[in-house]
Amino acid sequence: MALIEIIDFRKSFSHKSVHEGVTFYVKKSECLGLVGGSGAGKSVILRSLIGLERPDSGQILIDGTDIVKFTEKDLIEIRKKVAYVFQGGALFDSMTVYENLAYPLRAHTQLAESKIADKIHAQLGEFGLSDAVNLYPAELSGGMQKRIGLARAMMMDPEIILYDEPTAGLDPYNTNKIQELILRLKAKGVTAILVTHDMPTAMNVCDKFAFLKNKIIAEQGTVEQLRNNKTSLIHQFMEGQIL
Amino acid sequence: MKTPELRIPNRLKEQLEFLGGSTLLAKQTFSEMSTKPFYGSLLVDQIYQIGVKSFPLVFITALSTGMVMSLQYGLGLEKFGGKPYVPRLVASTILREMGPVFTSLMLAARVGAGMASEIGSMVVTQQIDAIRALGTSPIKRIVIPRVLACLIVLPLLVSIANMVGNFGGMVVGSSELNLDAQFYLRRVLETSNLKDYLAGFGKTFFFALFISIPSCYFGLNVKNGTKEVGIATTKAVVVASLLILVGDFFLSKMFWIIEKWL
Repeated sequence: MALIEIIDFRKSFSHKSVHEGVTFYVKKSECLGLVGGSGAGKSVILRSLIGLERPDSGQILIDGTDIVKFTEKDLIEIRKKVAYVFQGGALFDSMTVYENLAYPLRAHTQLAESKIADKIHAQLGEFGLSDAVNLYPAELSGGMQKRIGLARAMMMDPEIILYDEPTAGLDPYNTNKIQELILRLKAKGVTAILVTHDMPTAMNVCDKFAFLKNKIIAEQGTVEQLRNNKTSLIHQFMEGQIL
Repeated sequence: MKTPELRIPNRLKEQLEFLGGSTLLAKQTFSEMSTKPFYGSLLVDQIYQIGVKSFPLVFITALSTGMVMSLQYGLGLEKFGGKPYVPRLVASTILREMGPVFTSLMLAARVGAGMASEIGSMVVTQQIDAIRALGTSPIKRIVIPRVLACLIVLPLLVSIANMVGNFGGMVVGSSELNLDAQFYLRRVLETSNLKDYLAGFGKTFFFALFISIPSCYFGLNVKNGTKEVGIATTKAVVVASLLILVGDFFLSKMFWIIEKWL
């Protein structure tokens, strides 16, 4: 059964249509690569999955529940189990790394401060960022900010994780680090959607792809299917032959 | 038949959007104020940022206002032998108008600009989205502490400004107008009444909302990158200042009517 399902998703901004009936699904523990040219509206779909944007029409089913009509209050429960990794990390710049990671735990759990501290140190250790615990976001490199953003998103042990260009603008070292982390989370059975232009990373971590073109999902398939089909749109996209 | 599209000029549309948007924001702010969780530490931080850090500015503004008014009234009334009325006039003007209005204008400039730019930057760097994505409310974390801090701090600052303004008046009264300082102080205390004070003090709660709600609204509605942060900051200060000045007339009228009833 699909854990995430988008059916006939339509969205426009100021009379400019961006999506005209996008439909796809992601099964539990799968990782879907959502690809397409710049401005195709990939991030809009991702943001809609946690209610940061509202579609004009269509359905967004998370674990069988349509969240389109959910109020901000209803969405809190969804947001506890669906984590979002922002392109730039979106860390709170007035807080240290520790406070950023403690934020979701303090907001949604009754854990004692000592337990929160243990969890944060364990998480930072796993992400190789133990030394950054008392630093502010401004003191971190772009790659570290993205990794901390990922660590923060994982603090509530979400069932689903949405990656918005997690490797954009990173050097190969940090790209590899992010890739490793995504694979580690995938091994734990976390369902994911990855929006990216970094096709080597996407090919390494995704089970299947959906290609967004002309306001719809123009092509879908597993990595193997697409790798072997030289005429597929995604293959042409990877080769830089189409936008 | 195709329905003709209603074309509204952009400027009017913007103003209508502000009116509707800020009203909704105020409604949402007050409805969320009564529900858990409460972020006490954020409120304390805002009280410090808005109140303590604005104190020097408010102090200097109030002191110079009182001094200038005392001097102008004194010089103007001297030819009619009206110098003994200066304390009463200065006190009444400060308590009813100058104290609340000037303090609020100073706060609108300093705090309103700060709020709009800080929140606008948070929007641009997706921190507001992150607050929502992490299952928390930007209204609770960002707007409520600022609105409450303004509501707590502005009346206190105005009360201090009233005292400082009258002190400034007294200094000029004794040094420039040859009025005895004790006489000046006694006249202020004898002739000012609680109604004068409350008429000015009551306005501060409205002014606090005129500063905080538009500033948060413009900050939260930054859309097209960092360029708009500057525009939002300007709009916040201009709108808050206009609301204070225009609102002051209607609030003064309202308090006069209330005083007549009492």
